[in-house]
Order: sequence, then C-alpha cells, then structure tokens
Amino acid sequence: MIASYRAETLKARKRWANWILFGILLAWIILLVYLVLFLVVTLQPNSIQGPVPASVLKRRLFPENFVPSVLSAGSSIGAAIMLIFGALSTASEFGWLTVQTILIQKPTRAAVLGGKWLLLGVAALLVSVAMFAAAALASYAAVTLDGSSSAWPAWEVILKGFGALLLQLAVWTTFGAFLGIAFRSAAAAIGGGLTYLFVGEALLGGLLRNTPVVKDVLRFLPGINSDAVNAAFPVTIRDASASTQLVSAGRGVLTLVIYLAVFTLVSLLIFQRRDVGGS
Amino acid sequence: MAQSLAVETHGLTKRYSTGVLAVNDLDLRVRTGEVYGFLGPNGAGKTTTLRLLSGLLHPTAGSAIVAGAAPGSPASLARMGAMVETPAFYPYLSGRDNLRVVARYAGLATSRIEPVLKQVDLTDRARHKFKTYSTGMKQRLGVAAALLKGPDLLILDEPTSGLDPQGTIEMRALIKELKQGGRTVLLSSHLLNEVELTCDRVGVIAKGKLVAEGTVGELRARSGGSALLVRAAPLDQARRLLESLLKPEQVRVDGNAFVLSVDPSQAASINRRLVSDGIDVSELRLSEQSLEDLFLQLTENPPGVTG
Repeated sequence: MIASYRAETLKARKRWANWILFGILLAWIILLVYLVLFLVVTLQPNSIQGPVPASVLKRRLFPENFVPSVLSAGSSIGAAIMLIFGALSTASEFGWLTVQTILIQKPTRAAVLGGKWLLLGVAALLVSVAMFAAAALASYAAVTLDGSSSAWPAWEVILKGFGALLLQLAVWTTFGAFLGIAFRSAAAAIGGGLTYLFVGEALLGGLLRNTPVVKDVLRFLPGINSDAVNAAFPVTIRDASASTQLVSAGRGVLTLVIYLAVFTLVSLLIFQRRDVGGS
Repeated sequence: MAQSLAVETHGLTKRYSTGVLAVNDLDLRVRTGEVYGFLGPNGAGKTTTLRLLSGLLHPTAGSAIVAGAAPGSPASLARMGAMVETPAFYPYLSGRDNLRVVARYAGLATSRIEPVLKQVDLTDRARHKFKTYSTGMKQRLGVAAALLKGPDLLILDEPTSGLDPQGTIEMRALIKELKQGGRTVLLSSHLLNEVELTCDRVGVIAKGKLVAEGTVGELRARSGGSALLVRAAPLDQARRLLESLLKPEQVRVDGNAFVLSVDPSQAASINRRLVSDGIDVSELRLSEQSLEDLFLQLTENPPGVTG
C-alpha cells in the first residue's frame, strides 16, 4: 500500500488540475468569505440590510469567529472542491485506461485502492490545514486593519473545529472517489455529485426541512449532518440556533464516520470485483 | 522430459455480462523461452485472453497459471510485464515520470528507468509529456513499462498496431532482442507476416477457441502444404484442359495464372500435356500456400467451432 501511495503522490503532485482546485478554494476563502464582506461593511455600511448592523456584522470576520467561518466554507465550496478532487482521482484512471497499467504491476487491487485512499486522506488533511491557516490569517488581517480587538478561540475549540473540517472534507472526497469508481467517468461522477450536493440535499434541506416524512430522511444525509456538526461552533454575533438542527453534533459526527466507512468499503468491493476492459 | 510452461490455461472461458462469449474453453500452452504468436482476426478473443492472463478480467470458467502463479496475483505479476491493447499512461506526465509511477507501483528502484528508456530508444523524448507522443513512441513507452520489472514473461498485445513501416521494423527487431536471455514473449497479432517473422510457435484463435497451434511450417503442412502455380496461354483453353485432367476443385484461377492443388511430382506430366495440346506455358513452379490462405481457412471455417 505504501508503494501505491508513493505512486499516487507523484501523480497528484504533478497534476495541475489539483493545484487549480485548491487555489480556487483558498481564493474563495480569502476573497469572498473575508475580503468582499470586509470591504462592504467597511466602505458601504449603509448597504447592509437586516437585523444585524454592519459594525456588529464585521465581527464575523474577526479571529473570534474564524472557526465557524472556515467550517461554513468547508461544508459548501470545500465540499464541492473535494468531491471534484476525489472524483478526478479515481474516474480519470478509467478514462485514460491507466487503471489497467496500474493493475498489471505488482500490488493487489486492495493495495492500489489503499494507496489512493491514503493519498486522499493526506490531501484532505493538508487542505484542512491550508483552509484554517488562510482563514486565521485573513481574520487577523481584518481585525488589524479595522483597529479593533478580538480574542482567538480556545485551543480546544480550534482543534475540535479542525477535526470537524477534516472529517467533512474526508467524507466528500471519499464520496467523489466512490462516484468515480462507480461511474468510471469523471463527468458523470462530478455532475452527479455536485447535483446531489447543491440541488438534491440543499433543496430538500432548505424547502422541505420541516415536512415530517422528509425530515426523517434528512437526518441521514451527509450535508444535514455536516450542518449539525458545524452548529456546534456558533458565531459570536448571534445565538446558536441549535434547535433548528435535525440531529445533534455527536450524532452528526457518528453519521459522517459511518459514511466515510461505507463509501470506502463499497468502493473496495466494486474495485475488487470489477472486470477492467472488455465489453 | 516435459518442457516447462510460462503460460498454461485449462478450459479458460470468458462470457461478458452482455452475453458475448469472447473466450471459449481455451487450452493454451506457452513454453518457457519461446516467442509465441497469438494470431487471430479482430474480435477473435485475443485481447480478452491477454486480459484474463493479466488478471484484469475474472474468468467465467476454467483456470490459468501465468509465470508460475494465478493470474493477477502479486507472485505472477512480479514475474511478468504486459502491454494490453493500448499503451495507457498519464497524459500530463512525461514519459520518464510515467515510468517512475509504474516503478513505484511495482516497488522497483528508479535506477531501472534509464536502461529501459535506452532499450526502446526513448531517452531523448523522455522529458516530454506523454500526450505529445506519436503512436510509435506510445507503443515504445508501453514496452518500456512492461520491461521495467525485467520480467521472465512478456505479454504484448498488437505491439506494431498503428506503427509506420520503419516503426514496425524497429519493433520487430526489439521483440527479437527481448527474447535473448531465455525470456518468454507472448505476442498477439492479426498480422500474419508479423508472427511469421518473429514467432517460434503460433496459436490461431477464432471465435474464442484455439483452432490450430504449431510452427508456421507445421501449420502449412497440416493444411495441405504446397501447390503448383501455372501460367499458360490461351487461358480458357488451358483451363478446360486442366479441369479435364484434374478435379475442378483442384484448379483455382488466380489472376492470369492457375493454382493447382496437386502433388508437385505431377508438374512434369501436366507441363507435357499442356504443351502437346498447343498451349504455351510461360511459368510452372511450386507455390507454397500463403499464410494468408491458411489463416483464412482456419479462421473462417474453424474446425470444431460453430456459430
């Protein structure tokens, strides 16, 4: 498995598409999550409509709130980027037929997939670190530029938040990789995954959240459980609305871990049994 | 003494989920140290067989031993190198980096890369991306990847496919070179002259079944061996006479000549009879049945294969 992991790192490191994806993610956090909001609340505070005044809303950008901010980005754009990354890493092997080049080398199919999963895990870890670092730097810059003061969250909160982000990114990466293996097509895996993420779950979760039958189904969906985990890290400018979550944070973590295991096992089963090539 | 086998299959069968029976009860024996040509028309089941031997496909029935172990097992894969169908590599990586990826998967030292690049004459282009390679270069990189392990058994699927004449000649020379040192080469092709020029023995597959096996000479002999080629004029008069002398099915017109399926010892008497009837004989010689004829005979109406 280590031999396969070493091969995977070489491929992933030299693939420009991966760097572009992660660049988009970091740019999104710095530019859209922080810079744009900072400029609006600083330069045009009167344009902010709503119950929270701009002077208070600005605190959302400060270090005291960088954990919920990065988690929010992680469960939206982060989920999408990691889903694409996971799908590309597996589906491309079928598109280029390189899966057969790999499988006629020495390792077993389980070792090949193990190496790939290890790479995806390490990538999720590094992306989590980069997202946390970018959000922390951006929040520090915001509070410094504003001349205000803001306390950093406790280490315990930061570590738990980091764990929550890592778990969510790992689940979406694994989901994308699973779809890539199931569909053997990058377009189908990415299209299907993003449609589920942004249309299926978002629509169900947003519009039919309080419909009794749908509510029971929603409790088992990864996005809903991610939201429940994120709600355990509330922003300081308003009260946490824990009652709106369909499941507890603990249940959310457990469900996400189960998804991680299920996507991994089903991918392994498919990969082990599937014929490569032929019709 | 029984000769050791690099590849041995018993009743190997593959039926795809679509219902297509691609390989049907195949018994194949490739001896250690030989270049074995696996010959058949497109769609005969050659590539499916090679995929089965490489562990890429799971057989529906039957069994195989490849390089001393079950197909697709680490023990088998460690001793074999293969290029099945098309050389498949990462388009965004250079040729050298693609071989580094392959070496890492196989757990090999990267010091093996430069010698195989040199062996397939790709050193100068090794730093360029795979997607910029010509068909011939892709084929050569595929062979390089297959050679990386220094395998005892080399499986090459249509290695000259898509190559220009010069590339084909170079690939054939490379295959002959690869045989040195006791290596076994299993080579699939639908090109008859290719196997004739490179292979020690040939197995002919049609509709998923092995229909003939042996050296090219043995296969020729089995199918009736030689014939007489006669060029005579006037053509119609010569045809009438030959058909009266021989059975009609023994006389075949090939352009402005006749191919007679008779014992060559009859050449003198046939010549004498033609001349005595006022027919000019400009050419009379032994005509070995071409491998193409033999191939068509074996694959269009294979013995023991229906449907």
